[in-house]
Amino acid sequence: MIPLFKGKVKQGYMLAVALLAFFAVVVMPYGTYGVYEFLNWKLTFGEVDKLSKVFAYIFTIMGVIGVIYSIHVKNDGEHFAAFYYVGGSLGVTFAGDFLTLFLFWEMMAFSSVFLVWFRKSPASINSGFRYLLWHVAGGLILLAGIIIQYSASGDLSVQYVPFHGWWPTDLQSLASFLIVIGFIVNAAVPPFGAWLPDAYPAATVTGAVFMSAFTTKTAVYALIRVCAGSEMLIVLGVVMAIYGVVYAVLENDARRLLAYHIISQVGYMVAGVGLGTPLAINGVVAHAFCHILYKSLLFMGTGSVLHVTGISKLTELGGLYKTMPRTMIYTVIGGLSISAFPLFSGFVSKSMTVTAFGEAHLTWAFMALMLASAGTFLHTGLKVPYFIWFGKDRGIKAQEPPFNMELAMIIGSLFCVGLGIFYKPLYALLPHTVHFEPYTAYHIWESLQVLLFTQLGFFLLLKKLWCEDTISLDTDWFPRKGAKVLMWLTKPLARIEYNFIGEIYEFIIQKPIMGAAKIFKVIDTVVVDGSLNGLGKLTLFMSRKMKNAQSGQIQHYAMYMVAGFISLIIIGMVLS
Amino acid sequence: MKLLDIIELLRTKAAKRIAYGALIILIVVDFIIPRHEIHFFGDKVPGFWSLFGFIACVLIIIVSKWVGHMGLMQDENYYDE
Repeated sequence: MIPLFKGKVKQGYMLAVALLAFFAVVVMPYGTYGVYEFLNWKLTFGEVDKLSKVFAYIFTIMGVIGVIYSIHVKNDGEHFAAFYYVGGSLGVTFAGDFLTLFLFWEMMAFSSVFLVWFRKSPASINSGFRYLLWHVAGGLILLAGIIIQYSASGDLSVQYVPFHGWWPTDLQSLASFLIVIGFIVNAAVPPFGAWLPDAYPAATVTGAVFMSAFTTKTAVYALIRVCAGSEMLIVLGVVMAIYGVVYAVLENDARRLLAYHIISQVGYMVAGVGLGTPLAINGVVAHAFCHILYKSLLFMGTGSVLHVTGISKLTELGGLYKTMPRTMIYTVIGGLSISAFPLFSGFVSKSMTVTAFGEAHLTWAFMALMLASAGTFLHTGLKVPYFIWFGKDRGIKAQEPPFNMELAMIIGSLFCVGLGIFYKPLYALLPHTVHFEPYTAYHIWESLQVLLFTQLGFFLLLKKLWCEDTISLDTDWFPRKGAKVLMWLTKPLARIEYNFIGEIYEFIIQKPIMGAAKIFKVIDTVVVDGSLNGLGKLTLFMSRKMKNAQSGQIQHYAMYMVAGFISLIIIGMVLS
Repeated sequence: MKLLDIIELLRTKAAKRIAYGALIILIVVDFIIPRHEIHFFGDKVPGFWSLFGFIACVLIIIVSKWVGHMGLMQDENYYDE
């Protein structure tokens, strides 16, 4: 619908749709809706309960913020992709059966990849293809899990099938295992998480804001719904939280650093899902809620810097506090929220998950998560603002970003501070009843000590932390370099084929054909040409017309295909 | 511009001294603060979390940089060769 409108009307329309989606969620009562019979399957599109509703709230709030932030973008395709993407995440949230879930799951992957491609640089196009490959692979594993699940239980509804242990033992656990793997590819759990820091920094300024919010958090939602209490996830989540922090130390690109911190933060959530106690689940949901807000705020802040200066590398930035002070304030608010500073949103949510580990007496996990908290503050709260706004003044010309971008950042900041102080409404939305009070004297003091002494360490070791102009290898080394090894291995084979088979080909096929062609050419010029010239002109005319529709870029074709596919489904549903 | 003045103020020597003072106060108060949610031994030791925060920070920086220089960090054009 978006391309139908222009200028202010278009902007108003987009905002209205996003706001309407939010209010639709507000008034949505609990229950099951939208059950369709499609072939022999029963598809359920609206399974509304407390868990799905709280995720729908945050997804639609984020939709509104994202639309405001990106409203100046001229490219309709980008808005289109963003809307499909948000819609896909809502579809996953409300899906009542695995097939619907899978359908929207793929819709998210195929729409979000355009947010990467629309950056239109060769690097982002390659990165987009890798992103798609990871997600298609993950989606296929998920589909395999769903099919086995169906054959094992004969039931397709989204249900609680936790996976215990490390290895599948029977058919049912194989199904759960594959479903968990499918989910954790999207949650960016290492070693399947390399797509995230690869694709997000390659995305457009506004696209990255959307992407930071939806894919991993829908995966967290799906994990809660299907496999809360799978012990494997505790270990994976804790490893993930630390892994993100380690890579963030090494990273030079501000947005890639933030991408690694998404992995770290989602690690808390995955670990909490693995623990599966009511307190842990509440913590995970609250954390996902706050995380979407502060992480998008951080991406908006660094995105604004990229938008204004065209730079996102920390080695090339510095001294911007004189020209972009307000953007700095918003980003620091995001940084303090992610580090769980008292009075900011992370404090009321992250501490819940961490406390759940303390109460479960899993001391190693508790300590590891506290360590990761220190690391989070170290990078997002200190390193990013320091190297962008202070550090070495490089005399970059800059000014505050456009009004709509700033407005989106203000809204995000208000949410971050607001949730940190008035956290009761958020707690009321959580799936289990909350008996948790974040603001106890000792708890505040414990957090302050960890955070402020981290800060001391940061300033003492600043020299050591100075950014280096490098990239870090991740598990995508295997597909990326592995493909090259494969090419190299097949090279001798190709040479044999070329020399040997090529000569045979030339002798047996090419020579007789050339001979025949000469005879045909005589006939052709004399007889056929005359009649065909007229037809040729017509074809030429037609193909010139067609050329406009065909850009020759595979991305555009893919978009037509996806759009066509979706409209086919809708038509199918209306008719059935 | 007002906002800039505040930021400049935070960059002065005096602000730095106040920050160090705050750190000392943090540890001192930790000796007297009531403890009710004791999960493990560390919660009983005054100043434990201060030490933890500092060591965590140092560890993260040093270990990560060490791992990075073991071969994880490569030139930016690494994949393009």
